[in-house]
Amino acid sequence: MPEYENPEVPEGINVSEEHPLKEFILLACGIGAAVAVVLFALTLLAQNAAKAIPFEMEKKLAANAIFSADTENLKSSEFEKYLSTLANKLAKQQGLPEGMTITLHYSNQNIVNAFATLGGHIFVYRGLIDKLPHENALAMVIAHEIAHIRHRDPIIAMGRGATMMLILALFTGGDSAVAQQFLGQIGLVTALNFNREQELAADVVALETLQAYYGHVNGAEVLFEVLGEEEGEVPLAFLSTHPMTQSRIDHVISFRDEHDGRGELTPLPEYQ
Amino acid sequence: MLISNVEIIPGRRIIKHLGMVQGNTVRAKHAGKDIMASFKNIFGGELKSYTELLQEAREEATDRMTRQAKGLGANAVINVRFATSSIAAGAAELFVYGTAVELD
Amino acid sequence: MYDILIFLTLMALGFFFGRRAEKKHFKSIRRREAKYRQILAFSERLPPPNTRPVESQLVSGNVVISVDYFKQIVAGLKTLVGGRLTSYESLLERARREAILRMKEQAAAAGAETIFNVKLETASITKGNGQQVGCVEVFAYGTAIIPIA
Repeated sequence: MPEYENPEVPEGINVSEEHPLKEFILLACGIGAAVAVVLFALTLLAQNAAKAIPFEMEKKLAANAIFSADTENLKSSEFEKYLSTLANKLAKQQGLPEGMTITLHYSNQNIVNAFATLGGHIFVYRGLIDKLPHENALAMVIAHEIAHIRHRDPIIAMGRGATMMLILALFTGGDSAVAQQFLGQIGLVTALNFNREQELAADVVALETLQAYYGHVNGAEVLFEVLGEEEGEVPLAFLSTHPMTQSRIDHVISFRDEHDGRGELTPLPEYQ
Repeated sequence: MLISNVEIIPGRRIIKHLGMVQGNTVRAKHAGKDIMASFKNIFGGELKSYTELLQEAREEATDRMTRQAKGLGANAVINVRFATSSIAAGAAELFVYGTAVELD
Repeated sequence: MYDILIFLTLMALGFFFGRRAEKKHFKSIRRREAKYRQILAFSERLPPPNTRPVESQLVSGNVVISVDYFKQIVAGLKTLVGGRLTSYESLLERARREAILRMKEQAAAAGAETIFNVKLETASITKGNGQQVGCVEVFAYGTAIIPIA
């Protein structure tokens, strides 16, 4: 007659004795690094591909996607005409390629900002102009944004952003909605802005434009002083894609000293 | 260690019945293989990487069950059953259980 | 930004509470396993030829255990690199031992001494958002042999 018994089964055979936190950190770092490398390589590719898109097509894209509605109810006041003329003069100085046009939009909102986007559209807010003491600083803003458009920075940024989204969606494979959102956030932060190199290149071109237009770059540094004051409120300075304000001011000053660029400042006209 | 899915081992007598032993494991292949497998889905045919995955998992589960049986002082596991369940997408859960016994 | 904060909070909550619940559960499993040690369970199909009269009864136990958020994320990352999903292993171990224990409890209530032909079934009930496992059900059943006094 066989015996029947149930001795105690040894513990821990069916579970791995690894600390979950350690495993998580290793995994997160490893996968993070791999994703970063792939992202970097592919966005580089996408950026170069985006540059090849003709400006005409970019304009159509922008017209369809963004500006179909609000370009029509723009009223042209004296001040807007003045801004447009200034932008056109600066654009002429920069020598834009064939077919590239600049459309300037003025917005009567109290936001300290100005940006360039797809299709050669530049937005300037009253909040920023209020803080600028003379036309030279305003010209610096506009010349800087025109330079972005000349360098095709908006379409490059879009190419970069689209690639990032695509890859992250592929990687997470819809595994976890929150993980996807989390990664999507990182994608947004880096995609919607131009990178430091693009900003610096735009600064250089803008200074050259001002030098050619006014014969000096006096007053250009005021723009960065104003932006620096604004940026003081942003705690995540290391995340900002704009080069450190101080280094931009230094750059303007060294450019001015090199070109012996001191001259009369032009005042801004009256506006509301 | 003798592993069998019948209860009576011909020519051997069971001296002691030691109760249930189990082995389980959850395993996955890396994303690259998952992507290759999804391509393979278009053309059909054997998904070698998944065959491999399930075989590895089965071996590991069996190994764990054997270790439990050894811990009980058994020299055979009889009436062994394998079960597969899908716990997470792209991962295979292999479970094997049987009765640990001591044969003469 | 808020999404990241929510994500991190969920991770921390999942980690601390999940770990605490798991430790507590394992402790309770060990305690109850010792208590029901005298009830023997076998996966063999046939009970031993008996000399004394017995009754038989189907006994079963089931349990549904949910995975915590932290483990879910770790497992999700692990499926990218491949290998063992260690975070699900302990989940299944807990579920199986708990199901067997509940089956034994039922057998004990019926006055049984042994359970034969024990079978275990595993099912994942909810495949959560994006096919992630939400919780796992384990069902254990077998035939309890009750000696007639």
